[in-house]
Amino acid sequence: MLLLPRFDYEEPKDLSEACRILAGLKGNGKVIAGGTDLLVNMKKGLISPTCLVGISKIPGLSEIEPQNGSIFIGSNLIVAKLTEFEVIKKKYPMLYEAASVLGSPLIRNRATIGGNIVTARPAADLPPPLIAMGARVRLKNRRGEREVELDRFFKGPGETIIKKDEILTGIILDEPPIFSGGNYIKLGHRKALEIAIVAVASFIVLDKPDGIIMDAKVILSSVAPKAIHAVSAEKTLIGEKPTDKLIERAANLASQDCSPIDDIRGSAQYRCAMVEVLTKRTLTAALKQAKKSR
Amino acid sequence: MKRIINLIVNNKAYEIAVLPNRTLTQVLREDLNLLGTKEGCGIGDCGACTVILNGRPVNSCLVLAVQANGCNIQTIEGVADGNNLHPIQEAFVEYGAIQCGFCTPGMVLSAKSLLEKNPKPTEMEIREAISGNLCRCTGYQKIVEAIQAASKKMKKR
Ligand SMILES: Cc1cc2nc3c(=O)[nH]c(=O)nc-3n(C[C@H](O)[C@H](O)[C@H](O)COP(=O)(O)OP(=O)(O)OC[C@H]3O[C@@H](n4cnc5c(N)ncnc54)[C@H](O)[C@@H]3O)c2cc1C
Ligand code: FES
Ligand code: FES
Repeated sequence: MLLLPRFDYEEPKDLSEACRILAGLKGNGKVIAGGTDLLVNMKKGLISPTCLVGISKIPGLSEIEPQNGSIFIGSNLIVAKLTEFEVIKKKYPMLYEAASVLGSPLIRNRATIGGNIVTARPAADLPPPLIAMGARVRLKNRRGEREVELDRFFKGPGETIIKKDEILTGIILDEPPIFSGGNYIKLGHRKALEIAIVAVASFIVLDKPDGIIMDAKVILSSVAPKAIHAVSAEKTLIGEKPTDKLIERAANLASQDCSPIDDIRGSAQYRCAMVEVLTKRTLTAALKQAKKSR
Repeated sequence: MKRIINLIVNNKAYEIAVLPNRTLTQVLREDLNLLGTKEGCGIGDCGACTVILNGRPVNSCLVLAVQANGCNIQTIEGVADGNNLHPIQEAFVEYGAIQCGFCTPGMVLSAKSLLEKNPKPTEMEIREAISGNLCRCTGYQKIVEAIQAASKKMKKR
């Protein structure tokens, strides 16, 4: 049986108490949300914080709140709920798709959106669609609050810009633009309990249903230390009229935009080939959605 | 330092003093002597430790007992009604869905959560619902058939 090392446990009743406790722990404490990453790492002996700070009793952190057009998703919301709320499925289908393929039903009932972000695994499922849709995260400590684009949050595997005394309170997503569409595909060896071999999230905005591409985001996951933009693919798409040929060119460029590694889940060569396939499929699906959306 | 927690397990209230580093699996098995909940991998991969926490099936090996304070928990011991097996348990017996039995408590609880939300699931929905529960013996087919049979039985009652 894998045992957990000893630690203290605090359960603040509100955010200001949580910030005070974290500041007092001087970097030796860790927030625990669902615990599905943290407890595994602690059982494996990879980390041993002296105190865990449970955030589940803090009001407002586990809810979704509409805020004139945009929505605020509390960091402690479980992944299962992202697949249950009608507003996510309708307005942010990409996030719904990513949430439905995370782990297993059992994991999704504990894993939180905030934990999936802060843990900063290169293959995490929620960051690619969130980055593609321009999500921002809200961070709070005792001295104040800041809002950061998720695109600028990650530094590398397990590394982010969050400070040791900061709490991620939530994620903000703006109302998707008219004539926009997005799609996320995760490729794994099996359908459940699987870490992505490659995953791609694409998001495009048209000026009118049969118009040109005003904005394009192609986010590649599991092919670099963190989710990355397929920069040349995005450049090729913007300002053009979408055609099958354009999408094929963008997909080919995307496979050159990444430099993955060989590991037990797949070789670098295979990953590049799959980036091309998934970029094509996600762009095609995103385009179809954008033409219909209003 | 130990903390006092309150749990409702299978409709019975408990007040227990626990160290923060003990998981819900450990407290159920070692303090409450509810040995139906199994520990396989201890890291969320196998589902042998599945319990229903506030209405949702979870891996109890990845829940701290202190996190479950104030929660309502159902374990496999709370599924049968006295000596009468639950229709899902009956179907597991009838369809040969149990071999060594190590995965069975978790399978039954995942199946129960599914059928409560979705009384007439498709085969794919059943496979998806038990995808966090591994079985090394049956090859899953008989488990899927048992859950399909249970769905029919439960509709009749
Ligand atoms: C069997 C298994 C399968 C999995 N499959 C997948 C998968 O398919 N895809 C995937 O993306 N992930 C997967 N995971 C990883 C994990 O479940 C997710 O990353 C999950 O979303 C983490 O959320 P959590 O609430 O459990 O985080 P925790 O474990 O509680 O925390 C993770 C980290 O984030 C920090 N943290 C959490 N919340 C906050 C906050 N609000 N503010 C500041 N810091 C915070 C913690 O201190 C910790 O360092 C899997 C894990 C397991 C065990
Ligand atoms: S023992 Fe909990 S998932 Fe394996
Ligand atoms: S019956 Fe043996 S593991 Fe499922």
